[in-house]
Amino acid sequence: MSTPTEPHEQGSAPNPGRLHLTLFVSGTSPASARAERRLRDMCDRHALFGYDLSIVDIYEQPAEVFSRGVLAVPTLIKELPLPVRVLIGDFTDEPRVLDELGLATATED
Amino acid sequence: MVTNADVEGLDGQRRSVLSKSPTGIGGFDQITDGGLPTGRPSLVCGPPGAGKSLFALQFLVNGVTRYAEPGVFVTFEEDRADVVADVGSLNFDLDGLEADGRLLVDALALEPQVADTGNFNLEALMVRLAFAVEKVGAKRVAIDNVEALFAAFDKPSLVRSELRRLFRWLKDNDLTTVITGERGEGTLTRHGIEAYLSDCVVVLDDRVVLDVATRRLRVLKYRGSTHGRNEYPFLIGADGLEVLPITALGLAQDVSNDRVSTGVAGLDAMLGGHGVFRGSGVLISGTSGTGKTTIAANFADAACRRGEKVVFFSFEESESEIYRNMASVGLDLAGWVQRGLLRFQCERPTTRGLEDHLVLMQRLIREFSPTLVVIDPVSSLARGATPFDVSAMLMRQVYYLKSAGITAVMTVLSEEAGVEQVILNISSLVNTSLEVVMLSAFGERNRGLYVMKSRGMAHSNQIREFVLSDLGVDVVPVVIGDQGVLTGSARVAAESAERAAAETLSLESAELASALERRRETVDAHVATLLADFAAEERLARELIEASQQRLEAVRLDRLAQGRRRTVRYPENEP
Repeated sequence: MSTPTEPHEQGSAPNPGRLHLTLFVSGTSPASARAERRLRDMCDRHALFGYDLSIVDIYEQPAEVFSRGVLAVPTLIKELPLPVRVLIGDFTDEPRVLDELGLATATED
Repeated sequence: MVTNADVEGLDGQRRSVLSKSPTGIGGFDQITDGGLPTGRPSLVCGPPGAGKSLFALQFLVNGVTRYAEPGVFVTFEEDRADVVADVGSLNFDLDGLEADGRLLVDALALEPQVADTGNFNLEALMVRLAFAVEKVGAKRVAIDNVEALFAAFDKPSLVRSELRRLFRWLKDNDLTTVITGERGEGTLTRHGIEAYLSDCVVVLDDRVVLDVATRRLRVLKYRGSTHGRNEYPFLIGADGLEVLPITALGLAQDVSNDRVSTGVAGLDAMLGGHGVFRGSGVLISGTSGTGKTTIAANFADAACRRGEKVVFFSFEESESEIYRNMASVGLDLAGWVQRGLLRFQCERPTTRGLEDHLVLMQRLIREFSPTLVVIDPVSSLARGATPFDVSAMLMRQVYYLKSAGITAVMTVLSEEAGVEQVILNISSLVNTSLEVVMLSAFGERNRGLYVMKSRGMAHSNQIREFVLSDLGVDVVPVVIGDQGVLTGSARVAAESAERAAAETLSLESAELASALERRRETVDAHVATLLADFAAEERLARELIEASQQRLEAVRLDRLAQGRRRTVRYPENEP
């Protein structure tokens, strides 16, 4: 889960466009590592207002998995900006990911 | 994958005799000879609303409360509040068990807006389940309804292989599991997951037969174990599911030697003078309008007179109809209701399914705790259900009443289609069976009552006439005349003819007696005359005899006197 203190560290006013993301992965698998890289790459290119990404290893934090209703890995939860979106998969469908994260229109503008 | 699972299954069996975990679901453990296979996943499938979730929850709750086996309930269909609400009407305290840390409800209403962006797997499902199992130390798991995963994740082959992994994981962890699945077109489950759950498959069904819903359960498959192969009716009551295996009914209830009056003196007399046994089953059969309800009402009235409580289930007449009709034969049932001794439950049989009727009946019986229950008529429950269902339900009901020591008075409309089989089936549980027959002759139809059977007591073998009047009900002996059994006005006529004949006879015999008396007097007089005549003759004869003897004596004296004189006259002539 993203830490709520981060926005305040970035500046005096919270940045409304900044992405708060939580990614659930099964820690050691190469597929998870690839997915994480793909996501970071996409965010670096398209998240104009910045982003915070917390990584949860399901084996290390099973309680987190339990409380967030996660079944699949990888699962990405976009906590902010609202609405909350849940994405599953390894982000190979880039247009879909950008659309779900609300980044597609930002790049077109 | 399947072959691997099979090998493992064989290994499992070789390791130990198949052990079973009781579900605590009434009847189910009897059918399966102990419950579900321990440490293995079992499939419970059926259409929506068949009771799958309830089966799963009951299995877990009973595990916690009765068998000291904590459990995890995973549902993909509802959120937690819905799960609790669903079982709210039942006696399950999910919150309490969760607070104790013995049960864990993992409710995951799967969100349809989940966006699929590429490859994934369901490892997190296994992780969260492992987490939950570890948290409460679970021995039992239920996953309801596992096929919701197919709807949530649009990759059937992936879900399929992940489910196989899940089932394997459950087995490896020795978790006794209930997996529910919804029935598909021509398959047990929509996505064919039964292929991976080969140890035990239970099918629930909720069929609508003639507009009435009837629930059934069948154990389709149970590897390595014998099991009842029939379809068993089941019902959902306050304690959850209850399966009704007739053959598994024990017959150990205590019996009473206490007798209770039928409320009809003549009928009591037919039953050895004391009525029926308390806590026994009484069946009153007959065609329409024979007075079955009236006899049943008399049983009820008699119980209320003793200060006992009665519940009267009527499936044909309303309460006020019964009041009116029974008032016409002198029974004040409304009075008993006012005094809190009698309670009516009047309902059309088709308002609810058979099992709901019985659940309602049992609930009312528990609340009111009567000593006698009237079900009028049981045969109307047969409408819209197959005879087998009705028999099974009624047997269950009669058994329930008998074991509670409650006298059950049931009426049966014998002309109702298919009812013979029902009567036949329940008659083994009925102690006293009365039949009302219509006897028609001489342009009249009259009611005849006889005791078809009455176990454990001397009873009349005669057909008696059953008479209804505003004074009440009575049973009177019939008259056997030249034309056979006479009832009604023929009986009355025969009785009066008999009286007349008797009068004539008694008159005749009185006349004969007096004639005889007169004759005796005549004879006596005659004898007296003869005796008097004889006495006179005798007196005369004796007088004559005496006179002749006196003359004879006189002659002898004369002769002696003459001889003496002769001797004195000639003395010189002698030498």
